[in-house]
Amino acid sequence: MNALAPGRDTDTPGGPAGIGGSGPADRRRERGQVLAVRAAAGLGIVAAWQVCAMALAPHYIARPLGILAQVPAVLGNQSFWSAAGSTLLAVAEGLIIAVVIGTAAGLVMGRLRDVDRAMRLYVDSFYAMPLVALIPLLTVWFGYTSAARLVVVVIEAMLPVIFSVAEGGRSLPAEFTDVARAYRAPWWRVWAGIVLPASLPYLLGGIDLAIGRALVGAVVAEFIASLNGLGYYILFNVRSFAEDKAMVALVVLVMFALAVRGFVSLFVRRRLPWYRDEASR
Amino acid sequence: MTARRPLTALRSWRPFLGYAAGLVAGVAAWQLIGLNSASFVFVPLTTTLSSLGRLISGGTMPGALASSFSVYAAGEALAIVAGAAVGLLLARRPLLRTAFEPYLTALYAIPMVALIPFLLALVGLGFWPKVIVVWLFAFFPVEFSTQRGAQSISPELLDVARSYRTSERQTWRHVVIPYTLPYLMTGVRQALARGLVGMIAAEFFLSAGGLGSLLITQSEQFDTGGMLATTLVITLAGVILMAAGRAVERRFARWRVTS
Repeated sequence: MNALAPGRDTDTPGGPAGIGGSGPADRRRERGQVLAVRAAAGLGIVAAWQVCAMALAPHYIARPLGILAQVPAVLGNQSFWSAAGSTLLAVAEGLIIAVVIGTAAGLVMGRLRDVDRAMRLYVDSFYAMPLVALIPLLTVWFGYTSAARLVVVVIEAMLPVIFSVAEGGRSLPAEFTDVARAYRAPWWRVWAGIVLPASLPYLLGGIDLAIGRALVGAVVAEFIASLNGLGYYILFNVRSFAEDKAMVALVVLVMFALAVRGFVSLFVRRRLPWYRDEASR
Repeated sequence: MTARRPLTALRSWRPFLGYAAGLVAGVAAWQLIGLNSASFVFVPLTTTLSSLGRLISGGTMPGALASSFSVYAAGEALAIVAGAAVGLLLARRPLLRTAFEPYLTALYAIPMVALIPFLLALVGLGFWPKVIVVWLFAFFPVEFSTQRGAQSISPELLDVARSYRTSERQTWRHVVIPYTLPYLMTGVRQALARGLVGMIAAEFFLSAGGLGSLLITQSEQFDTGGMLATTLVITLAGVILMAAGRAVERRFARWRVTS
């Protein structure tokens, strides 16, 4: 809005804008421009994909229009939702078990130096290795069953939780335990009232990592063991030359991952408003 | 005062005892559980090591390592180059960044393992499909870190360069690239770990050769000793790569500009 034109200010609700343009109307215009650029880029990508697929690739390769066409078919299919539910359940179950065991193990490792040193070799090794390499071994032990997938998810999710919580326990400021000792607090009070809440930022960082890894583990386990689930649904449909359907399932998989992480951050904002992301410092 | 010395001596041994206790407990557990299990379920450490020896001398392990390592190295090198390039590009060209960043972030959120079947259908089996998988796993952390680093260059540095009438190319060489290098190395560290996961997952599906494929073969033959040996090798590879990644990151961390 032009400050040199008096009277023009009245049609910018919320306040006038300077010559450089930083008022609310200018911000709205900028947001609109950003949206336009992004939409144009997105459209360009989708169009390029569609054209290249139609011109160069075999008919079964996924393409945007085909994917859109298959959305009602897939989302209306009962077996799809049973597969999605199967994966969702396995990941959720595995995450809960992993967080409980992992937090306990991590706290013990973080606060008891001897235990930390004894277990360090194994935690570091398992954390450094690609845990998907354990899946063939687990299928020998548990067979091609959903128990194998659950174990994979638990192990994948447990490692980052143990790692992060142990680091949190180790970084506990000595003043906290000093105060507890000055007040002669019993050991369980120290753990439940000081160590656990102080490790919460680290735990949440670990959970964020665990969600991604758990999903990867579940999908690969389903691939190898042919278990009913989103991963296997994708594999099966790709092999049946129904890639568009598989893409819809992939999108659902990604949205599921984002939803779980969104749920965790929502939980943090609602129940733990004092939490600040200090662990990322 | 001489009564104190034995106690302090013992205390300095404590860390070593801690590590040693862990190692001994693990070895003992491995051996005991192995001896008390059916051979297709679990084997003792000694049997695992002799399986490893057999795999190495028979040429299976060196062959698998060579195949895996070539796929991994190719995928990682291409991913690091591409990730650095895209990251720098998006950081320096705001229009491109505004346009494409949300789509890159969306791609980062996809669990790359789920794309493996699509790749199989598109490019088939063999060396290059596996390289593409490793690339997909490794590209995004490098791109993300590099872009974040290059974006965080404080305007004062660029202003000084401009006041000395530095050309665009010289600005890159003297300001942008040295500033971004530590961030790039953080991305490389993450990419080394993720690429390893991609390599193993790709080898499960995309043709014979490589450590992942060896694991599948061994699992089908119930060669648990061999599987444990191969898993040991993979774990060693993971530990070495993670250590290398951390070392590289630390070496360049000195260049980080802290405000």
